[in-house]
Amino acid sequence: MEKKRYVVMGAGEVGFHLARTLSQEGHDVVVVELSPEKKERVEELDVAAVIGSGAHVPVLQQARVDKADLFMAVSSNDEANLTAAVLAKRLGARRSVVRVGISEDVTTHRRIYEEVFGADLLLSTQLLATNKILNNILGHNTLAVEYLAQGKVQLRKIHVEEGSMLTKEALRGIAMPAGSLVVAYFRGEELFIPDGSYQAEAGDEVLVLSRSEDIKRVESLLSTRPRTLGTVVIGGGGATGRTVAKHLLGQVDRIRIIERERHRAEEIAEMFPSVEVLHGDATDVALLRAERVAEAQTFIALSGNDERNLLASLIAQELGVRQVVTLVERTETSHLWRRMGLMRIVSPRQIACERINEYIATDYCSNIVSLQRGAAQIVERRLRRASPAAGVTLAEMSPPRGLMVGAVVRGEKVFVPRGGDRLEIGDTVILFVAAEHLSIVNLLFPGREGT
Amino acid sequence: MRLRPTLRFLGRLLQILAVALLLPGVVCLIYGEGRDFVAFLATALVTGASGFALVRMGRFRGELYRREGITIVVGGWILASVFGALPYFLSGTVDGPVDALFESASGFTTTGASIFEEIESKGKGILMWRSFTQWLGGMGIIVLFVALLPELGPGARFLYKMEVPGPTAETLHPRVHDTAAVLWKTYLGLTVAEIVLLMLAGLGPYDALTHTFSTMSTGGFSPRNTSVAAFDSPLVDIIIIVFMIAAGANFSLYFGLLRQRGKNLLHDPEFRLYIGMILGATIIITLSLIGNDIYTSIPMAFLDSLFQVVSIMTTTGFATADYEQWPNIARELLVGLMFIGGCAGSTAGGLKIMRMVIGLKSAFREVRLTFSPSTVIPIFVGGKAVPNSVVRSVSGFFILYFTSWALGTFLLTVGGVDLETSASAAIATLGNIGPGLNLVGPTANFAFWSDPHKILMILLMWLGRLEVYAIAALMTAAFWRR
Repeated sequence: MEKKRYVVMGAGEVGFHLARTLSQEGHDVVVVELSPEKKERVEELDVAAVIGSGAHVPVLQQARVDKADLFMAVSSNDEANLTAAVLAKRLGARRSVVRVGISEDVTTHRRIYEEVFGADLLLSTQLLATNKILNNILGHNTLAVEYLAQGKVQLRKIHVEEGSMLTKEALRGIAMPAGSLVVAYFRGEELFIPDGSYQAEAGDEVLVLSRSEDIKRVESLLSTRPRTLGTVVIGGGGATGRTVAKHLLGQVDRIRIIERERHRAEEIAEMFPSVEVLHGDATDVALLRAERVAEAQTFIALSGNDERNLLASLIAQELGVRQVVTLVERTETSHLWRRMGLMRIVSPRQIACERINEYIATDYCSNIVSLQRGAAQIVERRLRRASPAAGVTLAEMSPPRGLMVGAVVRGEKVFVPRGGDRLEIGDTVILFVAAEHLSIVNLLFPGREGT
Repeated sequence: MRLRPTLRFLGRLLQILAVALLLPGVVCLIYGEGRDFVAFLATALVTGASGFALVRMGRFRGELYRREGITIVVGGWILASVFGALPYFLSGTVDGPVDALFESASGFTTTGASIFEEIESKGKGILMWRSFTQWLGGMGIIVLFVALLPELGPGARFLYKMEVPGPTAETLHPRVHDTAAVLWKTYLGLTVAEIVLLMLAGLGPYDALTHTFSTMSTGGFSPRNTSVAAFDSPLVDIIIIVFMIAAGANFSLYFGLLRQRGKNLLHDPEFRLYIGMILGATIIITLSLIGNDIYTSIPMAFLDSLFQVVSIMTTTGFATADYEQWPNIARELLVGLMFIGGCAGSTAGGLKIMRMVIGLKSAFREVRLTFSPSTVIPIFVGGKAVPNSVVRSVSGFFILYFTSWALGTFLLTVGGVDLETSASAAIATLGNIGPGLNLVGPTANFAFWSDPHKILMILLMWLGRLEVYAIAALMTAAFWRR
């Protein structure tokens, strides 16, 4: 394998793991880290360590980012990550990965970050963790999510399990929600474009394009688990807790959040009127008993502290909560926790690591948008006056089978177009295109390259 | 508290008042009332001169702070009432200075309780002044002051908050000076509209003007002995009902209406509840009137019920019927409405619907906390969370308000007046409504009370108009400590 050069900024949980894996694979790795104490530990991985902030040019120069194939800004400081990414690109790094904290940055405003900071892959550990937790407790099988059109549209890669709706019937017989479309599926390594006769086999991975507001219905339609989710108790109302609660709204009977800090508890209660907020400690057994937390179906420990999460999870399990999900930042000890019966451990940093490794392994295909090493692409284009597609119905356009108009964003409205629908100037269209039809896209929808 | 800026702004306030005194003076000239004209002229001169003297004595540099703000607001209301009482006294319309002050305070606070036993024999200029004081006090003399005087600077915010009724004084503009100007313009616009409509309905300019002043301010003074019943016109009744309702709603809603077209008034939860309560009470009273054979015509029963309900709920106090003759259930319901009053940010008095809603929700929260003390329960009004500081202030307000009412009732019974009269007189003055029950019912007046009782009721009117806190603050030792 070709030897590559990587620069990792931040020797925290994510950075440390990345450096270790990449070094073990035989690549050259430089770690940029703020605190001098970590230098020795990092160097034990057989990588170079540069002490200093990645947001300063001399530090980056010392780390030789100009020779880097990939610059990974994964420290816990968002602002420093973004600054370092811009500088690294300017100094000659080929690509950059940037870790940011808030999920909305990735779902809704990804475009701005990519354009302004030149980020090739934008990660939010919090969002990755949220998706993993939702999979875990709702029985969804989402493998990856891509947010398009400012988060109004999503592309999801969903693993098909035995017993899923898709395995029972052909696609044309399934009542998919109106704003959704199955655009492709993988069987083995190969990508196929389905027609109405497609019937999935267990192990297939389907790509579903959907309006964000319909995604919950798509997920539960494809889920193999019955929808009796009862009460979910979330211990800790930080950013992850809030994002999880937001996604669970309407999917479960009742959500309760336990938060230790008074002002935060009040904030959450004002944010989600239908969520019951308790002010207290999720490890306070008396409180859990008094509030009958044991009757909940699911407990999710999401405070910002591993020890507290683990203790709360053990107590919840002891009290008889059926399903306990625990967020753990430090991964070295997760086997110990499994031994104690906590089977659903979610580690955001580990997920972030996996995600970046996948990005590297797929030769920098930023996720599902460029599929299967470029066999197909999702393209987002705005219709300009010059576009031959403007004012034409889909039926008149009659695109080839490898070119699908998956969704149209018109102002605030998002819909999946049918044959009779006319495209208008100013619409944003989301196209699914097999590689051989890319030239047609540029002809029909001329414009700036989109994602 | 710094004396010099306080004096300066109180002086400015008197100067504005002196200008306002010219309007009834002109009315006196038109109707050839020489003695009354001299009274107004003298008052205007005395007020203006005092104003200039105070401005001279005072000095303002830098900023106004809360203590000065509170003193200016309370001092302004007292001074306006005192100087506004002079024409009644100087013209010989009333006998004693206490009676003159009662009439004046009742005007500025938009209460509408009167010591006149017979009204129509009084001078036109005097009666115009009576209604005009209500109009000035309706949107607030301090708000007018803030609108007219940009030199107040950031301290204007304290003044504004001390006077604008309601738990949440909304600011429509970043600058409070502009907010005050917008409120007064809206008020002026509605006033002009009502004057025009009343004249189209057949009223003379004098009647249209005086009744509009008392409607828009929810004051309730009428230059007629029999109040609005004198016109005996359902059309006039309906016009006045509509404008009373408008005056009892939150004025910032109209601003929102102009700014975002298509936004319905009924989106506002307080306005919805306000209309719902008016309709509910009207229907119950109509049924009781029909059931007890007091009315035979259902439309007339409905119209009279609606007028009385709106008049009491908005704390106006006009009358088109003597509800003293109505069944007890109707009278009782009207007393209940006296306590509630109009919407926050309106010209109406009372506890205000918004406070009732917040107060009740906060009470239910306490109930829930008895068995689940860790639960965090925000109080939502119309989907928006109410800050805890507001909830606290509302609870405090309830306690002070009801204590004032109970204490007032007790003191009014000293001397042998019956409980129904005393209790209703206390709430009628504290809530700035006007008429009460029994001896102070809609066809009666307040002349028979002793002077100490009248002074007590003047205090209650000021307390109610300034919503207790500002006056209560002046009564604490900590306020005056250096």
